[in-house]
Amino acid sequence: MIQKKICMLGGFAVGKTSLVKRLVSGMFSEKYLTTVGVKIDQKSLSVRGQDLLLVLWDLYGDDDFQKVRASYLQGSSGYILVIDGTRKETVEVAGKLHELARKTIGPVPFVLLLNKHDLVDEWVVECPMVSDLKDQACLVSMVSAKTGEGVEAAFFALSEAMLKS
Amino acid sequence: MERTRRSSPTTPPSEYDKGESEDFSALRRLLLSPEQVQLDRLRQRLDTFVVGPQEVSRVLPDAIRLRAQQDNRLLASMLPITQEALALSIKQSPQLISDSIAPILGSAIRKAISRAMREMFQSLNQTLEYSMSWQGLQWRWEAWKTGRPFVEVVVLHTLRFRVEQVFLIHKKTGLLLNHVMAEGISSQGEAAISGMLTAIQDFVRDSFQQRQDEGLESLRIGDLTVWIEQGSRAILATVIRGTPPVKLRDFLQHTLESLHAQYSDSLQNFQGDAAVFLETRPHLEDCLQAQFVKKQKGLPVGFWVLSALLLALLGWWAYQASLNHQQWTELLKRIEAEPGIVVTTIQEEGGRTVFHGLRDPLAVDPERLLEEVGYPPHAAGFHFEPFIALTPEMIRKRAVTVLQPPESVEVSIEGSRIILMGESSHGWISRVAQSALAIPGVSEISLERLIDTDVKQYEALRNALEGQAIFFLEGQGRLPDGELGKIQQVKHILQELDKEAMKLGRNPSIDVMGYSSPAGSQTINVSLSERRANKVLEILSEPPFQVLKLSAVGKGVDPDVKTGSGEGLEYSVSRRVSFKVVEPVVTQRREVGARIGP
Repeated sequence: MIQKKICMLGGFAVGKTSLVKRLVSGMFSEKYLTTVGVKIDQKSLSVRGQDLLLVLWDLYGDDDFQKVRASYLQGSSGYILVIDGTRKETVEVAGKLHELARKTIGPVPFVLLLNKHDLVDEWVVECPMVSDLKDQACLVSMVSAKTGEGVEAAFFALSEAMLKS
Repeated sequence: MERTRRSSPTTPPSEYDKGESEDFSALRRLLLSPEQVQLDRLRQRLDTFVVGPQEVSRVLPDAIRLRAQQDNRLLASMLPITQEALALSIKQSPQLISDSIAPILGSAIRKAISRAMREMFQSLNQTLEYSMSWQGLQWRWEAWKTGRPFVEVVVLHTLRFRVEQVFLIHKKTGLLLNHVMAEGISSQGEAAISGMLTAIQDFVRDSFQQRQDEGLESLRIGDLTVWIEQGSRAILATVIRGTPPVKLRDFLQHTLESLHAQYSDSLQNFQGDAAVFLETRPHLEDCLQAQFVKKQKGLPVGFWVLSALLLALLGWWAYQASLNHQQWTELLKRIEAEPGIVVTTIQEEGGRTVFHGLRDPLAVDPERLLEEVGYPPHAAGFHFEPFIALTPEMIRKRAVTVLQPPESVEVSIEGSRIILMGESSHGWISRVAQSALAIPGVSEISLERLIDTDVKQYEALRNALEGQAIFFLEGQGRLPDGELGKIQQVKHILQELDKEAMKLGRNPSIDVMGYSSPAGSQTINVSLSERRANKVLEILSEPPFQVLKLSAVGKGVDPDVKTGSGEGLEYSVSRRVSFKVVEPVVTQRREVGARIGP
């Protein structure tokens, strides 16, 4: 079985942990997020006949109180960049985190997720705002951690991309 | 020559040089002819060069080695061919492959089984060792209370240390390369734990600004310790229960170094496929070490001997105390129940128990009671004042002592009345009434059911005498010879009767009555009957009796005898002498059931 480390990146309260919860029921408490700054879960998948174990590093949302530790990104084969569609400032944070990831681990595959699609009426983020990221991502998807819409597909897409690279 | 040799290959030939060149060629042929032939051959060989098997076989081993050192391309090229060849070989001759790998697999299987058996026996030994001890019982209680298996509780208590889990982690990615666990340990999410261990290290390293090659070495949570050995590309994390020895750390470090040396390339090029690291399992399993607390093997023999002696002593003391208590209770019961003894106080005097009270002299000896219940005689004493007990038992006892009844007489008491039953002589009966009334507590005596054996005998003799008759021949006053024997029998009865009458104090008279048959005149008949009576009296009077007074009476014809025709038995019976006992009139001394005394 092949293992891949992937990181969940995004601003504070964009829904990273909720997205992971949609995929796995974690064994560690969420308090690790605010103490150590990371919570790790694992998920087995089968992608095109290949057994894959995803080790999900759910990193604490970047904000004024705590920054994402670059060391946590080391060794990642890919990452998931999450933006809250109802908060414009999360686009900028995502951009910064993307830059940090590029600098730390290089051009590995990533998917861009615009979360909270269930609240699409309240969305303030528009496509042009994420055009730069969109061009580089192997997948851009509007998802909802609340309804589960698009979540599993996004992880599959990233897994495929990682196996190809 | 020097100049010519240097210029000849480069300078084009001139007219002048042409003749010289031919000379030179001729000279060269002369000087280098053999070498020229060899050069021509070499040129021809190079022009038509084809690498043959022989050439390849010479360089192939070195070539493979050199190429493998450079990169993995040769390996990648050979991999599909090797796999196909191996598959084909297994298909065509499985026995060959089986024989080839049997030594390796056999050894590995033996090692695995041996390890499993060792762990099982160790666990079993510990369980058995502690299962029946006091400690074992405490642990069983703990196991029951906490719902854990007994074996687990035993292991936890006897464990000095045990490596429960070993994680081999890729340092850069935090991904798990391999993981082993001790028997009985369950774990899940090893990959996530591996990542978390790496994250915590990164966190600590970042927080305290340590170098990349430095990291967290130890974590301690309660009874669990996590030791983390840092390598350049991999981390060996061990989860240990208890207190591990320092030398274990050296062993872990040595293992990690060895793994680094063996899997250097794989660690460097790790892309998430940990299959190659499955082979590290034996190394990691060697790290699953454990050490248990040795149970103290027994206490000194002296301790056991002393304990046994103390126990025996305690047992003996307890037995004696119990016996003593039992005897004491029995003694109290017996003394209380004993007639004629009244205990007023019990006191401890000079190390022994003394009973104070009253005792009828006819009551049982208390010293005998001690013997009967087995109570130590030296431990008890008695101080009794004499008194006369008026309980029925004691009255009876006293009556028996005073009256001394024969065995045929039974004495019983009803209130203050003595009842005598059975048979006794006239002499004892005549004395008993006065004696009985002198006994304290007795006011009445009952003789209703007491039979006088002398009176009984007297009556029997009287009846026997009165049943006798001496017969005479017709008209004769002389005693016939045939009746002499009967006379002797009558005499014996009279002698016995005389004795009994004397015992009873009686003075009876015996009438010797003569009778005659009706034949003849009355005068003759009366005279004849007197003669007959006197004749018998004469024979019986010698020797004389002590109290009996015999007298002859001629009765004439017996009116009660029916003579009939004057012949036959009845007629003969009329000529006889009979006897009658006549009692003088006496005052009856004995009154049956009479109240004799107060």
